[in-house]
Amino acid sequence: MAGKLYDVVVIGSGAGGGTLSARLAHLGADVLVLEGGPKIDTRTDFNTHALPFQFPSRHIPIMKPGKPGFDGERSRGLGGKTQLWNAVALRFSERDFKGRQYDGVGQDWPFGYAEMAPYYDRIEREVGVCGNYDHLEDLPDGIFLPPVPLKCTDRAIQDGARTLGVPVIHVRKATLSRPKAARPACHFCGNCMSGCDVVAKYNSLDVQMTPALKTGKLTLQSNSIVYELAVSDEARVNEIRYFDRETRAQNVARGKVIVVACACAQSVALLLMSKSSRFPAGLANSSGELGKNFVPHINAGFEAFLTDFIGKPSNDDEGFLDHAYIPSFMHTKKRDYSRSFGIQFNYQNRRSVGWAKNVKGMGKSYKEAIKARYPAYLTFTPYQEMLPNSDSYIDLDPKATDEYGLPRARRHWKLSESDMRLYDDMKKWCCAILEASKAEIVNRDPAPMTNHEIGGCRMGTDPKTSVVNQYCRAHDVPNLYVVDASVFPSSSEKNPTLTIMALATRTADHIASQLQKGDA
Amino acid sequence: MSTYSSDRRSLLKIFGAIGATCAYPFASDELYGQTTAPLPETAPHFFNKSDFAVISHLVGLIIPETDSVGAVRAGVPEYIDMVIARNAEQQAVVADGLHWLAAKNFMQLDDAAQYALLEPLCEAADSGNLRARNVQFFALVKNLTADGYYTSRTGLIDELGYKGNTPHTGFPECREH
Repeated sequence: MAGKLYDVVVIGSGAGGGTLSARLAHLGADVLVLEGGPKIDTRTDFNTHALPFQFPSRHIPIMKPGKPGFDGERSRGLGGKTQLWNAVALRFSERDFKGRQYDGVGQDWPFGYAEMAPYYDRIEREVGVCGNYDHLEDLPDGIFLPPVPLKCTDRAIQDGARTLGVPVIHVRKATLSRPKAARPACHFCGNCMSGCDVVAKYNSLDVQMTPALKTGKLTLQSNSIVYELAVSDEARVNEIRYFDRETRAQNVARGKVIVVACACAQSVALLLMSKSSRFPAGLANSSGELGKNFVPHINAGFEAFLTDFIGKPSNDDEGFLDHAYIPSFMHTKKRDYSRSFGIQFNYQNRRSVGWAKNVKGMGKSYKEAIKARYPAYLTFTPYQEMLPNSDSYIDLDPKATDEYGLPRARRHWKLSESDMRLYDDMKKWCCAILEASKAEIVNRDPAPMTNHEIGGCRMGTDPKTSVVNQYCRAHDVPNLYVVDASVFPSSSEKNPTLTIMALATRTADHIASQLQKGDA
Repeated sequence: MSTYSSDRRSLLKIFGAIGATCAYPFASDELYGQTTAPLPETAPHFFNKSDFAVISHLVGLIIPETDSVGAVRAGVPEYIDMVIARNAEQQAVVADGLHWLAAKNFMQLDDAAQYALLEPLCEAADSGNLRARNVQFFALVKNLTADGYYTSRTGLIDELGYKGNTPHTGFPECREH
């Protein structure tokens, strides 16, 4: 194995690595994927349909008994987080790529929406995205399968939000609303975020990598935890050092081109761990920017009861999770902060009743109140864009190691005053929309939380202020690419995965053309 | 710069987070599901018999038998026994709480007097005023009772009428709104 020189070695098999490796195999490149976690059989390995009382602790584990995977950042499994994601698939808009041109702060991408649009088109055609054509300035339409109907509870929020001039649209998800190729349409059964056992929901293993195996060009190697990328005197990666997750036996792999796609913090960590005399501060880090510009999504969570639904019969609406979305509406409004937010809501699954303890009281009335509120419960979570600042970065913990003895990635983040004003306004709008929808709030996050890790290997044209160039290639290392949300110069308020996939497609095309030219 | 930053995350953990992982498996569940070890075959495993009787009685007061089955018959005391056995911090809270109840002769009081003793604790717990040790104790027992009951078959299926896990050919259009 160590002897073979692959055209491309991809580290990680999620939205970035899975999309890119399958595309390159179809384009004729000889590709090896190294995944830290185990092989996954999507149809049988996940507890998609489990209920809490089947487990003594009442905690539903991700995997079926005896199945490894998803137990740590370095050992998720083939398909990565696309196995467990909620499939929200939103295009970034021109304003998301070029925010600095609009408000003078943050960093712009080296290209705009027009450059990305064809790659969004291709990925939507490839994986299947359902949604409505809403013709919104800040949320470009794509190529959609028909949307999934709204729930009655969504209609209540839609009616309430309308009184404030806030539109509620159908969510856009990489989950099939109609059959496509060998995949069935969603049949609204099970918890999508515990693995979709029928693959109506996109995951990179079943939708992209497994079909690409037919090319004979793709090799999937699981249980291979990469801990170091070694470089030659010419500053090219010449050896990928990894060990077997189970036996810990060490091995090496070689490729003309190396693609790091380990999901944001883990990609940054791998580069930081790959120190050499040439790159003493971490691989591809001559700028000192590696790990900086960490801009995760900041969210505020609410749990509420729609009073119109209190006491109604229990409903069967948990499959597919959220059906609706509130797209950014502040970009075009006067405000005292930069950027904006969007709101995901009504994504709870009904097998989870963790809110019951937050209902007031005890005794018979308490028990009755919970039963009455069961059909009325909903989650409501806005996501905001934060701007990069010097206090927000990823580094390696100098002391703590993980179960494999490798340093843990640490996330540091701090909100600027502008970010805080956005956060406060976002909460205010959420309360207003919930109130207008006749919802009573039962619980709220007391402080900002993070989700969707973004940044750390910023893409840019200047090697002094960025880690990778506009093709996701490291400025310092000509055969090294990074393809995940770590390269995003700005986060937008929109879920990052569709953009990771579009970027992976674009990067795959670039790598293929470089290989053809003998330039890789 | 604001006061909010990653340094505060450990503090937040006591409250839990809503929706950071999109409702899987619970919205705010810091006290919930801390182990995947199997339930001991004969409970109580951790509590002695008299403490277990007090805990069981509290559980029954929080979610009583009504025209539907309550938390005691749904096996919640056994669930609490298992959770507490694995958490030293909670063991101390429970020990102090049981001590406080013993000083009040709790088990000898009639129902009305027991409610009168517990209701102020419940109110304080519900409003998040958790400074007092006996309030912490009540909040812990209430949280575990709610989690244990509504994750049981009795609570989730029979009481609440959970209907998921059923395949549909399409999602029905909402006709009421």
